[in-house]
Amino acid sequence: MPDPLRTLSEQAVATGNAESAAYTSEDLRDIGWVKQNVPCQTACPAGTNVPAYIRDIVERRYGRSYEINRGANVLPGVLGRICSRPCEAACRHGWPGNGEPVAICHLKRVAADMKDSGHRITERLYAPTGKRIAIVGAGPAGVAAAHDLSLFGHDVVIFEREERPGGMLRYGIPEFRLPRDVLEVELHNALRLGVQLRTGVAVGAGPDEIRVSTLLRDYDAVLLATGCMAPMPLPLSGEWENRDPARELSDFEYGLDFLMQMHRGERKRVGRRVAIVGAGFTALDCARVAVRLGAAEVTIHLRTGEDYIPVAREELFEAKREGIRIKGLRTPVSLRRDDNGRLAGVEFVQNRLGGWRPNGRRLAIPIEGSEFFEPCDTLIVAIGQQSVHDFLDVKPDLGRAGAVRVTDSGMTSLSGLFAAGDYVRGALTAVEAIGHGRQIALKIDAWVMGWTRRRAMVRIEPVAAPLRERAFDFIPRQAMPTAPLAERVRSTTREAETGMDEAVAIEEAKRCYLCNLRYQIDVDRCIFCRACIEVAPRNCIKLVKGVEMADDGSCGQLLETKEWNQVGAIWIDNRECIRCGACVAACPVHCISISRCELVDVDV
Amino acid sequence: MSTARHHIVIGSGVAGSQAAETLRDRDPDSRVTMITLSSLPFYNRYDLPKVFRGERDWRRFLVRPPGFYTEQRIGLRRACQVAGVDTRRRAIVLAHNEAIPFDTLLVASGGRSYVPEELSDYRHLMHGFGSFEQAITVAQALPEGGHVVMLGGDMIGLDLARTLIETGYRVTLVAGEPTFWPHEVEAGERPRLLDSLRKVGIEVLDCATCGGVAAVEQGAPGLAARRVLLRDGTEVHGDVVMPFFGLVPSVEFMIGAGVDIERGLLVNKALRTTDETIYAAGDVCQIWSDEERRYRFYYGWKNVRAMGELAARNMTGDADAFISAQDERLQVSTDGQIQSPFWEYE
Repeated sequence: MPDPLRTLSEQAVATGNAESAAYTSEDLRDIGWVKQNVPCQTACPAGTNVPAYIRDIVERRYGRSYEINRGANVLPGVLGRICSRPCEAACRHGWPGNGEPVAICHLKRVAADMKDSGHRITERLYAPTGKRIAIVGAGPAGVAAAHDLSLFGHDVVIFEREERPGGMLRYGIPEFRLPRDVLEVELHNALRLGVQLRTGVAVGAGPDEIRVSTLLRDYDAVLLATGCMAPMPLPLSGEWENRDPARELSDFEYGLDFLMQMHRGERKRVGRRVAIVGAGFTALDCARVAVRLGAAEVTIHLRTGEDYIPVAREELFEAKREGIRIKGLRTPVSLRRDDNGRLAGVEFVQNRLGGWRPNGRRLAIPIEGSEFFEPCDTLIVAIGQQSVHDFLDVKPDLGRAGAVRVTDSGMTSLSGLFAAGDYVRGALTAVEAIGHGRQIALKIDAWVMGWTRRRAMVRIEPVAAPLRERAFDFIPRQAMPTAPLAERVRSTTREAETGMDEAVAIEEAKRCYLCNLRYQIDVDRCIFCRACIEVAPRNCIKLVKGVEMADDGSCGQLLETKEWNQVGAIWIDNRECIRCGACVAACPVHCISISRCELVDVDV
Repeated sequence: MSTARHHIVIGSGVAGSQAAETLRDRDPDSRVTMITLSSLPFYNRYDLPKVFRGERDWRRFLVRPPGFYTEQRIGLRRACQVAGVDTRRRAIVLAHNEAIPFDTLLVASGGRSYVPEELSDYRHLMHGFGSFEQAITVAQALPEGGHVVMLGGDMIGLDLARTLIETGYRVTLVAGEPTFWPHEVEAGERPRLLDSLRKVGIEVLDCATCGGVAAVEQGAPGLAARRVLLRDGTEVHGDVVMPFFGLVPSVEFMIGAGVDIERGLLVNKALRTTDETIYAAGDVCQIWSDEERRYRFYYGWKNVRAMGELAARNMTGDADAFISAQDERLQVSTDGQIQSPFWEYE
């Protein structure tokens, strides 16, 4: 018997029918709602369902939390340590007046660290297709694509030039940030569903190397995921113009080469004073490695300033804790040698800040006549990488920036030849590479099969009551514990961040607003008593004449009114709502319902 | 509805207070609001060492009597934290979500004590000296004739050390970089200056030889309250530990405002930021120097006061350039005292 004093979602949950009351929707408004209202998931290049996995941590269901992560990116334990965290920049908890963003990345690691050792992995396997796909490069994009393509039932072979898989994750990121045992386990799990991994096998145009044209002949599709491995040269003037100092000065290194050589097992040395030029994670990693190799003074030189560089604040803080200095507004223009021909230091020019570049970074404009000199014993340059095409014996069209050109289908100008990750989009973060690898895998599958077999829909499930308490809003962001400074700077392998314990992790997880919960007022049952407005901690419940809808299904402007005779609805503005549930508790007629809205991949 | 312009000044130190008074003089019909994190009205931070001479009444530190702001029609919002500046809406947003619209904004939020990141784990074991409340707290924690361990050694700390020595306390300075901040001292000159400190009774341990601070710990029961471990294995015991590593500009709330920042807010010689309605003055701003071809900080009471006044004039129609009138040389007097002209005030 339906209870008129209960919302439909309450009735469904009360009768044990919540699961059966769930349904999937392809209504553009539902898809638009999720994209607009779950900012962390929208910001994640891999589309991770962040609120769902954080909620599972509150419920101590770490294995399930890990699997939610794994459904979006195949390396949660890895990304839980080294992700660039675009989700945290978007987190509603970090919006003005709401405090600090939830430590989404650290909680990802919590799920990976705390799941049972015998944890069961879930994979959705399709029947074998008999299609053969070759992937060149076992970095994050290649591994993510290989994993998804193997689930689709294809026979996948990865060709990797290095001795071990992982690409930049293994050769470009120091062990003190990413322990190799974590990487090994997750790579193994990603590739163990029949992916054939052939390491130490080079694809290229040299002798004994496998030609791309051969792969195109022997496989149904070929994916190039070779990354961006060539360092960007440092543009210098004067005597160094058009010369590569790395060829002439033993104390000049390119950051990525420095890290790769170290991780291949070479013994690296640095001088007493180390200067790093660059603003990304590679520059920061090189600086932290230099400290561990015994440098007394390590300085990172930036063209702009700390506030404009694309690294996580916490990483920057940890680097400073290790004694690394950051100096801004300077660009190297030349190098000086000492009497023995060794590097003596760097000549810089002072910059001022200019406008914004299309990639969202600040421009730095050199100030004429402001050159100055800073001595150093080792200079490491990490100003970016570029892709190279000299391994190709085929000629796909290149774009203006020199990267291979791909269509919307992810395919190059050559039939069956696809490209993903850094190789096609320039130096990406690990999560961007994984996200792109998965997108291209879906497109390769559609191309080899002739139709798209999976697409995103919204699963909507009733929820009986708010899952949060108001008190959760006042929990401060929990810090990631770190190893003692004196110990960690003595080792290039001792992990700097030691991981949250369970109590701290659950406190942090409680902070998540659970933005995937949609609060709605049933206008037909609302008696316009304003009780919900009175208890709302924010300006989140509004009297509106109407609501504009954007073309993508997201909610546009709310047409608010204060005139009672014009009120068309009392509307929960989900952009303002912090999911505290106070309105639900206050409503005397139970007209506010809660539903969990989540993007899911559905077979077509 | 009033059409008077609303000038907001963030900060109530030397620069902010001078600016607010100048704004009131030059634009009598305007609204002037000063917003400060401090719970006290403008007081003289240079006088804070006096708490160790027994001066504990906050009223004695005030530069202006409490009624001054009402008389001058300067709105004073104390204990307010600015969370951000919304340049699109031309409003500042306070931590409790109140938005206050402005026509022109002066950021004079000054600097806060810098604690090197490697010492951040020990913050709870150290005493700051950046506000009246902190000065009272450390004075209460220090027993008569007690022992202060100073880390770093900027001029704020050295000024305090002089008072502590004169009033019978013991001071050990673990002199790290940047000793004598904000003065830049030549490497060859440093030993002589450290000797000057020793002569006035400060026990000096130079980080160049002791390797710097490895850890700060709670003292063992029955011993002094704090124990500082140095990298060479030396232990220094003291009743309080105070970090003095200079100031860092308080700019966090400006990061989303769209104005240029390096360490401080970058301003032109007229003290205007890259937003034409937002100015900055005092320790929070880096001013372009034609002579040195770089953005630099200008410290000292005279400079900061001049900046506050100039910013206010430029906010109300002038377009003058900042010229420093401050002597920046560190001096040693005939009796061996190190004198910083930055600390001279009227």
